[in-house]
Amino acid sequence: MRRCTGCAVDVEGDWARCPLCGEPLGGEAVRSPLPAVPLRFSRRRVLRALFLTSLAAILASFLAQLLFSRFSDLGALRSVWLGVVTLWLVVLMAVRKRRNVAKGTVYLVILVGLICTYWDYLTGWHEWSLTYAVPIVCGSSIIALMITVRLMSIEVGEHVVYSGLTAILGLAPILFLVLGWVQHPLPSAICGALGVVALVLLQLTWGAETRHELAKRLHL
Amino acid sequence: MTRRAWVRLDNASNIFLAARSDADPKVFRISAELRHDVDPGLLQQALDTTYERYPLYHAVLRSGVFWHYLQDSDLRPLVSAEDQHTCAPLYQAGRRNLLFRVLHHRRRIVLEIFHALSDGTGALWFLTDLVTAYLRLRDPGQPSPAGSIEAATTPRHAGGRTETGGRAGHDAAETTHELTTDSFAHYFRRRRRRHRVDPPLVPELGSPTLPGGSSGQGGSGRQGGAGGPGRSSGTSGPTETAETAAGSGPGSADKSGTAPPTRPTARTPGRPSRPPRKRVHRVRGTRTPDSRTRVVELTMPAPAVLALARAEGASLTVYLTALFFESLRASSGGLGRARTVAASIPVNLRQFFPSTSARNFFATARVEHTYGEGPDDLGSVCRDLEGQFRPQATPESLERKLRRFIRFERSPLLRVVPRILKDAILRLINWGNNRGLTVAVSNLGRVVLPGAAEASVGRMLFHVSAVRPQFCAMSHAGLLTISFTSPFVETGHVREFARMLTAHGVEVTVAAARVTEEEIAEGER
Repeated sequence: MRRCTGCAVDVEGDWARCPLCGEPLGGEAVRSPLPAVPLRFSRRRVLRALFLTSLAAILASFLAQLLFSRFSDLGALRSVWLGVVTLWLVVLMAVRKRRNVAKGTVYLVILVGLICTYWDYLTGWHEWSLTYAVPIVCGSSIIALMITVRLMSIEVGEHVVYSGLTAILGLAPILFLVLGWVQHPLPSAICGALGVVALVLLQLTWGAETRHELAKRLHL
Repeated sequence: MTRRAWVRLDNASNIFLAARSDADPKVFRISAELRHDVDPGLLQQALDTTYERYPLYHAVLRSGVFWHYLQDSDLRPLVSAEDQHTCAPLYQAGRRNLLFRVLHHRRRIVLEIFHALSDGTGALWFLTDLVTAYLRLRDPGQPSPAGSIEAATTPRHAGGRTETGGRAGHDAAETTHELTTDSFAHYFRRRRRRHRVDPPLVPELGSPTLPGGSSGQGGSGRQGGAGGPGRSSGTSGPTETAETAAGSGPGSADKSGTAPPTRPTARTPGRPSRPPRKRVHRVRGTRTPDSRTRVVELTMPAPAVLALARAEGASLTVYLTALFFESLRASSGGLGRARTVAASIPVNLRQFFPSTSARNFFATARVEHTYGEGPDDLGSVCRDLEGQFRPQATPESLERKLRRFIRFERSPLLRVVPRILKDAILRLINWGNNRGLTVAVSNLGRVVLPGAAEASVGRMLFHVSAVRPQFCAMSHAGLLTISFTSPFVETGHVREFARMLTAHGVEVTVAAARVTEEEIAEGER
C-alpha cells in the first residue's frame, strides 16, 4: 500500500499524491475500493433554467399584449405573436408533464381555455372563445383521455382523478350556456352532455377507486 | 382491481424532501467489504429474496395535495456495477422509481438509500439480510444464520403495528418490514397515557417493551449470543458500541426532520439554559465540479480508538466529535471570528422505543463548543460535549421533544397548508437550522453480523451526502471506519483528524474517491 510520510497514513488506490496533504506518496499501489467516476453534468439544471426563462418570456408576452391593446392596433401581428407564445407554452407543459399523460391533459385544457379567453378579450370580445374554443377543447379532451387511458393501459389510480377533472371541466360550458355567454348553444351543450356522461361512467366503473384516490391525495 | 398500499410520509422524512439540493440529494450509503470480489449474479438473487421481505423498499414516493406519501409498486430492483459517483440522486419529483439502489464494486456490496425512505438502522437491517443471503448462496454448505434461538421469540404483531422488543427476537425469515408502520405516530401521538405513568417512562419502557433492554447497548452483540444471536440488528440499539447511545440515523442535522418547529437546543427542561446563540463557525470551500459528494474513508483498528476515548472519559461518538472540532480549528487556522463550533448528532430512537419498522426513526441532538472561552484541550471539549449530549439522549427528553414536534406537525392549521407551501416552510426552517451548525456527526456503532457472515465480511462503511462537512462512523470486524463527506473539494480537516490519530499511535488507512478533474484524469491513466 502507498504511504504518506507526512500524515503517517497508508493510502489505498493508485494515488500519486496524498489525497489529504498533497505530498508525493511512496510504496506500491493497491486496488482502490472506490471507482474513479468521470465528471458528469446533469441536464436538470439546464432544463430548469430553460423552463423558468421560457415561462418568464411567455408571461411577459401576455402582459405586453395587454399594453398594446390600449395604445395601438397590432392587427395580424398580434395573432402571430399570441400563436407563437401559446404554442411555446403548450409544448413546454406537454414536455414537463410527459410522465403522466392524464395530468398533462388537465393542465393543457386549463391553459388553452384561459389563453383563448384572454385572446378573445384582447381582440375585442367576440365570444368565440366561450362559444367554440373552450367547449371544443374540453369536450375533445374528455374523449381523448378516455381513448388514451385504454390504449396505454394506464393504471386506474394514476388517471382516475384526472379523468374526473376533465369531466368536471367539461361541465363548465353548461355554466356559459346558463349565463348566456355564448352566441351559439350547440358546442357548449354537446360538451356539457359529454361531461355528464363521462362523470356517470366514471362513477359506475371506477367510483370506489376515485374515492380511494381522492382520500389519499387529499389526506389531511 | 388492486389497490396499492400507501402511507403518509412520517414526521422525520418530510424535511429530507424539502432540503434536497444538487449538492446534497439526501442519499446515504452503507457498504460491506467481503473477502472476495462480488459475484453480480448471486447478488441479484440475494437481492430478490431480501426484497421480498421488505415491503417498505418496494415503495415509490408520490405527492398529494397536502402531504407526500409512499406507495407500493411492482418495480424490481437490479444490482449494477458502481458507475455513478457516490450518493447520486435517487428521487426526482414526478418519476416513479425505487428509492434505493444496490451496487457492487470489486469486494464491496453497496446499498444507497434516499433518506426519506429509511434511516441508518433500517438500511443496516436490509444490508445485513442482503449480505447474509448473498453469502449463503455463495457458500451453501454454511449453516443458516437464523438460528433456532431467534425463532423462539418472534415479534408480536398487533393491529398492523409490530410490537416487539427491538429486534431481539428477530427471525430473519419472519419479520417483514412493512410500509405502513410509522413509529413516530405509534409512540408520540395521542397515546399519552401509555407513557405518562408515575414514576415516569423509564421503567415502563425499560421493562415490558425492551426485553433485550440491557443488551440493547451492545451486550448481545458482544457475546454474539445472548439476545439476538449474531443479528447485527438483533438489538434495538443496533449493537452500539457499548458506551454510546448515539447516533443511528445516518442523519445530519438538517435532517433532523424532527426539527421543524424549534431549535433542538436549550429548551429541553433539565438542561441549563444557554446564553444567546453565539456566532457559529461555518465551513466554506470550493464546491466539487459536478456537485458530487467528496468522500474520504479512514479505516483504523477500533480498540485503539476506543482506548483513546476511554482515556478521556468520553463515549466514542463524543470523542470523535471533539476530535473533529479540533481538526476544524487546526485546518481553518483558528476558526476566525466565529469560534463556536456546533454539531448535530442523530440519536436512534429504537433503543428507547422498540420498533421493527425500517422507516426513519431518529431524533437529533445538538452540541457545541466555543473556543477561546476556557480550556480548549481535547479532554475539556469532550467533557463539555458529553455534558450537553447526555441529557438530550435520554428517553424522557427525546419523548418530550418528539411529542412537541408531532403536535406541531399535526396542528390543524398546519395540516391544511398545501404541500408546496409546507415544503417552502420546511426549506426555510432547514436553512435556519443549517446556519446554526458547523458539522454533523453520525455513529452507527459496532455491528455484528449473523452466523457465518460475520467472518466473511471485513470492514463496513457508511456515509451520507452532505451539505456541510460531516463524518459517519461504524465498526465491524475490529475495524472502525470513519467516512468524511463534504460538498467541498478541500480535505484539510480530514488531514488534521488523521494526523491527530496517527500521532496517538493509531494506524490509519485512507481511501478517497476522485472528485476534481485532475484527480479523475490521474485515476483513469
